[in-house]
Amino acid sequence: MARIDDDIHHADSTQRAFTLVEVRPEPVPADLAVVTPPSSEKRRRGDVFRPGPGPMVQFQGVIKRYDGDVRGLDGVSVSIAAGEFVFLVGQSGSGKSTFIRLCIRELRATSGHVIIGGRDLGELRRSKVPYLRRAIGCVFQDFRLLPDRTASENVAYALQVTGHSRQEVNRRVPEILALVGLDGKGDRLPRELSGGEQQRVSIARALVNQPRLLIADEPTGNLDPDTSQGIMDLLTRINRTGTTVLVATHDRDTVDRMQQRVIALHKGRIVRDAEGGYNEDPGDTGEIA
Amino acid sequence: MRLGMFFREALRSIRANAAISVAATVTALIAVFILGAFIPSFMYVRSAVSAQTSKVDVDVYISDTASVKQVNALRDKIGTLKTDGQVAEFTYVSKDDALRLMRERLRDPSVLDQLPSNPLPAKFNIQPTDPANANAIVAAVKDDAALDPTEGIVYPQTTADRLLTAAKFVQWAGFALIGILLVAAVLLIGNTIRLSIFARRREVEVMRLVGATNWFIRWPFMIEGVICGLVGAVVAVAMLWGIKVGVVDAWASGADTALTKSGSTAGAIAFPLLTVVLVGAGALLGAVGSGITLRRFLRI
Repeated sequence: MARIDDDIHHADSTQRAFTLVEVRPEPVPADLAVVTPPSSEKRRRGDVFRPGPGPMVQFQGVIKRYDGDVRGLDGVSVSIAAGEFVFLVGQSGSGKSTFIRLCIRELRATSGHVIIGGRDLGELRRSKVPYLRRAIGCVFQDFRLLPDRTASENVAYALQVTGHSRQEVNRRVPEILALVGLDGKGDRLPRELSGGEQQRVSIARALVNQPRLLIADEPTGNLDPDTSQGIMDLLTRINRTGTTVLVATHDRDTVDRMQQRVIALHKGRIVRDAEGGYNEDPGDTGEIA
Repeated sequence: MRLGMFFREALRSIRANAAISVAATVTALIAVFILGAFIPSFMYVRSAVSAQTSKVDVDVYISDTASVKQVNALRDKIGTLKTDGQVAEFTYVSKDDALRLMRERLRDPSVLDQLPSNPLPAKFNIQPTDPANANAIVAAVKDDAALDPTEGIVYPQTTADRLLTAAKFVQWAGFALIGILLVAAVLLIGNTIRLSIFARRREVEVMRLVGATNWFIRWPFMIEGVICGLVGAVVAVAMLWGIKVGVVDAWASGADTALTKSGSTAGAIAFPLLTVVLVGAGALLGAVGSGITLRRFLRI
């Protein structure tokens, strides 16, 4: 709890919040919540998607074919442990988006198994998909905010969906907005915010239900380098609270700078899976660049 | 708490999509107005036809020379028809009764005083349970010995037949038309709401992305449909009320036509009831229209 107050305290100055990242504070326990945990949630049995022990994301021989024999993924097996920070890289058409859309059951695998938090999504009933999505935070290149709602209302919607009381929504939304560095901008509409700020709103929305897995599809694709840096720092900070973060990107500079685990896709296959930069050995995987 | 939130969401979306909301409301208005104009007209025509139909009765005239025994035999025959359920009611009208009735009907009864004797025959006035039974009744008594040879049996056969056909036609045509109108209204409103949802397809996508269940997304849209349907229905009822008071009532009280007389007001639908039916129909149209349309957008 002390840690939470700390975060909120620092967040009123965005810059200071980010110095936290650079000095690398001591690691926090993996299950520490980003904001105050929900207290008055009414949940019916079976409505909650709780990740079990074991890998957070697991692909076992996943093949995804689209109509006309177009291959999205062509036999991908990979495992991402809870708490990892992973980059998914590759050119457009390499299968990054397919990978991500499979994780949130926007798509279903043609064959193989997609296992999230120990649950095989192939066996997940359609009516349970919303509960899966609440357990995963999603951030996209185009932000995907509701255009006629303010920043606060956008974040609040994700809380309303999970059945939180109005008091709880009113309490948690400002907290989380402060956390992503949007203190005092809650009343702005998305179009009144800069690209970076909009992306922060969408990250706030992704975080507000305290997901154990955060997936970002080209989160910096529409942003300039400085703003991108800020977003990546924010994602790093979120990862440090124990949230598994999976970022699909083709932003070479960002990946090189972060030096994290990199899974490289090419034509629907994994061509490299190692820690380091975007492309450590150009001779080995030259076709990706 | 939830209902309140869904309601606020619905109002927000009506405000945000004012043009489409107005279109949906006007569609509901037109549908309810047509329905509201048609239902009373249909009820009126039906009651007019059935009022005429109930007037079909059979007069069996009795010969002046018939004996009491013969008349009693005829009475028993008709009594049997009543037990069979073909005859609802029958009355004996004696020669004197017939003359008295004639006297009441004439403007100047003194002309009857000129008559040397009573020329009117006695008769049985028979009311069939159903006008369709008239022919059977006639067939049963037409060869009776007590019948007056010249007058015999009098009943408005062609009128009865025509009325029966008309009544059946009005009934079925009416139900068919109401059915078609309702289907058309649902399709129209559904189409308008589809426009609204199509305009907000991305919004629905985002809602699904953050884990909204289908019903969570659907409720505000359904409430939106109900609100548009209700507002349209209320305006339509107001317009119908104006027309009823300004045109129909004035015409009915001013003109003393055969039509206004023949249509019993008891058969016509009461305006408060009509209002309830129409407003209910408007709300239902909105809910069903948006409910059906949403299904397509909520698959995966």
